[in-house]
Amino acid sequence: MARSERDVTRRGRDIAIRIPRNAMVIVRVLVVVVVALGAIVGIGAIASANAPRTAANAAELQLQQGAAERDIERAYEQAADQVAKVRALNLAIGAAQADQIANRAITDLKTLRHSAFLKLAQEHGLSGADADAYAVSLEGRYTAAPVTKQPSPTPVLLAPRYYAVVSRMSELAIALTDQAVAQLTAPASQAPQPSPSPSGSARPTPTPTR
Amino acid sequence: MRLAAAVIAGAVLGGVFFGAVFDPQALPFVGTERIYAVFLLDGQAYFGHLDDSPFSGTIVLRDIYYLNDATKITTDLPVGLVKRGGELHQPTDVMYIRRDKVLAIERITLTSPVGQAIATQRALDRATTAK
Repeated sequence: MARSERDVTRRGRDIAIRIPRNAMVIVRVLVVVVVALGAIVGIGAIASANAPRTAANAAELQLQQGAAERDIERAYEQAADQVAKVRALNLAIGAAQADQIANRAITDLKTLRHSAFLKLAQEHGLSGADADAYAVSLEGRYTAAPVTKQPSPTPVLLAPRYYAVVSRMSELAIALTDQAVAQLTAPASQAPQPSPSPSGSARPTPTPTR
Repeated sequence: MRLAAAVIAGAVLGGVFFGAVFDPQALPFVGTERIYAVFLLDGQAYFGHLDDSPFSGTIVLRDIYYLNDATKITTDLPVGLVKRGGELHQPTDVMYIRRDKVLAIERITLTSPVGQAIATQRALDRATTAK
């Protein structure tokens, strides 16, 4: 083969496979950067997924549970106490009607407390009859020894799940109490009249007449 | 010789820079759980796991809790801890906070009331998940 022919062939082959040195450097740097970024992101994700998460032990759980129970009971006792105080006032409505309103409010509050204790039981894994037995036992315990008569314990910041139960209990207890108080303190004109006045006058005379 | 000196100088400068920027205790795979309190300029505070990349204009908080007013609720304390996610818009468990709105960032101790409340929440989550 003549020399000029060999040159042409080589040149043609060189053009086909030639990659500039700068391009190779850029490609290598890009590969390193991509691998490094992938490693950083991957390590970050693994570290985040495997970050230690502390969970409370049995003693801490018991402390929180006791605090939540007390808070629920306190909400009940405060509400019931308020209803009883208002009932003890000299009300415009009749005594029988006032008793009926107060008793219904107390019954509703007891039902509410029972529901709150049931929810509390569910939060720490009890269900069905176990949860009901737990609620009944708490009600018995607090009926025998009300929270308001016990010494103040160390304050506990409740876990969000417990706090949600206590918060809801408090809100509903306040709503029930407000409703009962509004009914108890309603003016006589809004309350049902026991019987019409014999004289035919709706307003009684201020001084007794003989 | 010059190359070795340059490498050593680069390593020293890099060490000084990263030592000033990074908290060694914040490195992954090291130590116990790290929960941070992020106090914002508007007075709000959030607690959670912090991703604080120094090269970003935002910090990232995950597993987020905050304090709620509980003065009308019969709890021992006038505040309650709430887990973020139950709001009306039900945000996902990540919050991006603009760095210029942050007043302070503190690492909280796990034995603090907030730390114990969060630990209890996890235990309750596990108890109900296991059922």
